Amino acid sequence: MPTDSEGRKRIVYCVGEERALRDVLPESEAAALLAAASRAGLRGVRVVDPGGKALWGSGNDAPPPGEGDPRRPILLEGEPAGSIVLPAGAARGETQDALLALLADTLTAMAHNNLKRMLTTETHTEVVNRSYEELLETNRSLSASEQRYRELAGTLEIKVRERTEELSRAMARLVQQEKMASVGQLAAGVAHEINNPLAFVTSNLRTLKKYTERFLDIIARYQRVFEQGGVAQQDRDDLRKHRESLRLDAISADAGDLLRQTLEGTERVRKIVADLKGFSHIDEEGEAPADLNREIDRTLSVMTHEIPAGAAIVREFSPLPVIPCRPGEFNQLFLGLLRNAFQARQEGLRVTIRTGVSGDRIRIAFADNGPGVPADLRTRIFEPFFTTRDVGKGKGLGLTVAYDIVTAHGGTIDVEDTPGGGATFVLQLPIRRGSHDQIR
Amino acid sequence: MIEYDSEEQRMVLKFVYYGPALSGKTTNLLRLHDLLAKEGRGDLMVLDTKDDRTIFFDLLPFFLVAPSGLKIKVKVYTVPGQVQHDATRKAVLQRADGVAFIADSRRSEAKNNAESFGNLERNLSIVGIDIDKLPLVIQYNKRDLPDILPEEEIRRAWGPTGFPVLLSSALEGWGVVETFRALAERAYDALDRRHDFGGTHGLTRESFAERLVRRAG
Repeated sequence: MPTDSEGRKRIVYCVGEERALRDVLPESEAAALLAAASRAGLRGVRVVDPGGKALWGSGNDAPPPGEGDPRRPILLEGEPAGSIVLPAGAARGETQDALLALLADTLTAMAHNNLKRMLTTETHTEVVNRSYEELLETNRSLSASEQRYRELAGTLEIKVRERTEELSRAMARLVQQEKMASVGQLAAGVAHEINNPLAFVTSNLRTLKKYTERFLDIIARYQRVFEQGGVAQQDRDDLRKHRESLRLDAISADAGDLLRQTLEGTERVRKIVADLKGFSHIDEEGEAPADLNREIDRTLSVMTHEIPAGAAIVREFSPLPVIPCRPGEFNQLFLGLLRNAFQARQEGLRVTIRTGVSGDRIRIAFADNGPGVPADLRTRIFEPFFTTRDVGKGKGLGLTVAYDIVTAHGGTIDVEDTPGGGATFVLQLPIRRGSHDQIR
Repeated sequence: MIEYDSEEQRMVLKFVYYGPALSGKTTNLLRLHDLLAKEGRGDLMVLDTKDDRTIFFDLLPFFLVAPSGLKIKVKVYTVPGQVQHDATRKAVLQRADGVAFIADSRRSEAKNNAESFGNLERNLSIVGIDIDKLPLVIQYNKRDLPDILPEEEIRRAWGPTGFPVLLSSALEGWGVVETFRALAERAYDALDRRHDFGGTHGLTRESFAERLVRRAG
């Protein structure tokens, strides 16, 4: 089947093929009519085609038609498609002329009716064939697409599994990044805290270096005087003058202060490092028994730099049983929740940390007095990538990380309203876990 | 063109009356049949099989002979306007030499006119006819009815296309012969370019049109 410029299949058939008189008038019909006419007085009457060739007639004995013989055209679609001819020698007269005209009209009408029937049949057949072809084509393309979908369905499960694995890997990477980013922020704060004491420790040590040079200088002079054997008045005066020029009395008094301050500075750094170590539990592997009150304090101590100025941190701790857990992970969790709370409002922030035992579970609540979490978002805030912050201000993974840590320890995390306004994040952790709850 | 036989000096042309259902295509042909002289045309053939609705169209044939002896048959068809007869429409439209698009002037029919014209464009493309090269005239029929689109509105809408637009009332019998004549003249121009009607066959635009639209005495 030929196609057009846009690749669509073209119809090649066409209704209304041209037909000659012979095609639309069967000899059986025409000959019978002519025979009857011949008997009725039109002896030898015949039909000729436009070229003058005889088509049908009565008997071979009749003479061939001549140019001047009476004739009437037979029309097919308005076109003379042949003639009815009365050969020379036949009887003539008004009756014959009328009969001839009648015969021509009859044959024209017969041709017309036959043509109409043929055209109807032809068109009907073409249209039905065409419709059938179109149906076949539709059927073919439907079968093809069914086959495609069948194949797709077969591979879909495999593809879904592959993509799910890809997504879980990507998710795990993002969660890891989120943890790293959280620690990174902490590191920046801690670096700032360490920098302060480090600065004055360094400055003090420089000053002490200068003082030490002067002490060494005066000691060298004393040494020389003593080695020369005498302590003359002159020597004593010289030494005193030199001591005064070195301002040894003042620096002796200052050196003590400097050393004390320096030691304080190094002690601060040591404590920060100890806090960090305590916070991260870097030396521990796997689970260790932990007092979560103490861990919360450890987290708070590394976050001092992040606590907004003027914020009130209220610790309402009740004694907690020691539970086996990964304390480093819990501190990461506390860090995230506290950091959220610290961002709850600019001024007049009040964060209450309440711990206690309720039945066989430890309950820890972090309550802020910020705007709170609308009821319709409460189930969604733990979903990965859900965030109400502006684009670029958070990946929406902070609470997802928290949720993962708590559930890995067999616990739950929920958000509630703080009485008087604000959000309260509540952790509930089993005091004893079954073996099946072992941390992954 | 259905056929051109240079040996036999015969040519068969096809004109198609296209348009939405009940816009007056058959009435146009009936009127032409009544208004034009019997000489040079055949009888109107109305093909409407009552039970099987796959076929529903009309055919009015014309016949003329050019001074050169070239016999020209012009077959004027209508297509069924009903949506479900698209296969018949495509079959009839095949190898058309000219199309008269018969639109219904009533405001309420504007959507049907547009859909039918869209169908014409699509089917022309399917049967491989370039609408920009096809002799095409537009007839706004049923001007005798109330609530019809005003002429200025029609001319404004069709002006940019360059297709001749004629107004008619096939029921009252006016505008019908003019439409047919306009179509014949447009078709002549296209055929003259391809077959040198004027030169080789001594057939002028005027005489071609005159012979087709000879009015009954």
